Amino acid sequence: MSFTSFSFLCFYVCTLIVYYLFPAKIRWVLLLVASVVYYLLSGNSILILYPIAACLAAYAGICFMERFEETKKRRAALVVVVLLLVGSLFVLKYVNFGIYTINGIAGIFRGGRGIISGFQFLIPLGISFYTFSILGYVIDVYNKIAEPQKNFLKLALYGMYFPAILSGPILRYREDGEQFFQPHPFDYKQVTFGFQRMLWGFFKTLVISERMKLIVNTVYDNYADYSGIYIWIATICFALQLYTNFSGSMDIALGVSQTFGIKLPENFETPFFSKTIAEYWRRWHITLGVWMKEYVFYPLLRTQTFAKLGKRCREKFGKKRGKQLTTFTAMLILWFTVGVWHGGAWKYVIGSGLLHWFYIVMGELLSPAYKKLMEKCHICTDGKGLDLWRMIRTFFLVNIGFVFFRADSAAAACHMLASAVRIGNVGALLHGSLFSLGLDFIEFTIAIVSLLILFTISLLQQKIDVREWIAQKRIIIRWAIWYALLFYVILLGYYGPGYSAAEFIYQGF
Amino acid sequence: MTREAAYEKLNEVFRDVFDDEEIVVNDSTTSSDIEDWDSLEHINLVSAVEQAFGIKFSMGQVVTMKNVGEMVDIILGQVD
Repeated sequence: MSFTSFSFLCFYVCTLIVYYLFPAKIRWVLLLVASVVYYLLSGNSILILYPIAACLAAYAGICFMERFEETKKRRAALVVVVLLLVGSLFVLKYVNFGIYTINGIAGIFRGGRGIISGFQFLIPLGISFYTFSILGYVIDVYNKIAEPQKNFLKLALYGMYFPAILSGPILRYREDGEQFFQPHPFDYKQVTFGFQRMLWGFFKTLVISERMKLIVNTVYDNYADYSGIYIWIATICFALQLYTNFSGSMDIALGVSQTFGIKLPENFETPFFSKTIAEYWRRWHITLGVWMKEYVFYPLLRTQTFAKLGKRCREKFGKKRGKQLTTFTAMLILWFTVGVWHGGAWKYVIGSGLLHWFYIVMGELLSPAYKKLMEKCHICTDGKGLDLWRMIRTFFLVNIGFVFFRADSAAAACHMLASAVRIGNVGALLHGSLFSLGLDFIEFTIAIVSLLILFTISLLQQKIDVREWIAQKRIIIRWAIWYALLFYVILLGYYGPGYSAAEFIYQGF
Repeated sequence: MTREAAYEKLNEVFRDVFDDEEIVVNDSTTSSDIEDWDSLEHINLVSAVEQAFGIKFSMGQVVTMKNVGEMVDIILGQVD
């Protein structure tokens, strides 16, 4: 059940009304029931057994850890839960990735024929999100930094909370968990702010993302027919499509949650204003970055293997280089994991993982030379012009990764990048061919105006809380703004021919 | 070990890790007070502190300690 479908709106409104009719103390029970119903209605209902099984495994592990104090026994329980959760994620999402990779290599020697056949699995929706939320919690209980939840139903609500289960944000129990079970009295401001956030999400998704999708699909589905400037336009459109789609779905998820009085963690912070790749990853899919840092990167660096590697590298290459080398090696594993999380295909491993590792490593290695160059050329490194250049550079580098993300395969992405270099066809745009990519002049103008609105609000968000700012205005202005946005979405939301609710790209992950 | 002695040793570790002889830390020092103290250096720092004091932080402590004061509390708890 997509957030932009009519059925979701009906489901949500009914849930909200019943939620506030329930006694405050047991409102969490209603949220659990709603979450189960939502999952059952969102796809193949039998697949609900997967998230339930994941919650059961976590609950059993937590109860075991609670009963025994000995580190060995607690660790054994943790290992079993990690194996069960990561194992099911691996089997369902990545077995075929391994098989296709082996077949690809074998095919070189066997004239294109593979040696193993792939499996057909029904993958439960949101598996990567609920697995990480639950896994992080079990690890925190093991590390004694999160309270063990003794009520299975409460744990199930945390693991299956409907606004977050399909596309995140990835939750952290020690920060977000307890509020699910606290009584939340009706708060007019929270409810109206939630509606406003949802409306902003619908604007991003239905007005912008769905329009961008048309241009992207035209070029990427027929990539052999396009080169040069068309590939760049389609890729920039994809960056905007993905951002408005994913951050729009987060606005809806956070807005829905806010109307229940529950604050979910932010997942985006205007990432395209980032000046470096590292900063970009602190502002794009924030909860995934935090999760990876805390549960993959830190523990990896603290293993005996990395401690030994660090010591050896420092002895051999000196303190600074040795430290860098160890960090880069750990980052390689981290970015491979980030890439694999996005999907079991090399296009994800490269486009959302290894390429970004390469950027960060090169950035670190070239940083001293870059600083020297700036000094030699007497360029002020704090200037706004240089900041703008850094933002454009970062956006460009991120877009190279997006070519891999969106293309059919890593090979197709390489083909597209090779043909994107031939930018001699810029002039073709002046003859109106831009409007042959899926959006006519009027649709294109709506897209540009909407992007300008998004850009302006994003700029404002850097400095102020826009909803609070609007809330301080006189009632007529306030209502005029929100009604204008509502009608803008209703009238200009792209529903297209044979409309079906907008799909959320990250929902399949 | 006294708190003062712990700080004396800790200052040396910080100066070595961050390559800055001027660093002086106290109870309220946080990552925002030292320019290069990011998430990467945090792990390097923790490893260096463990080595210098012959102690071991748990993963929970590594991710939840909020300032140097909390770090010293943990160190003194293990050294004594």
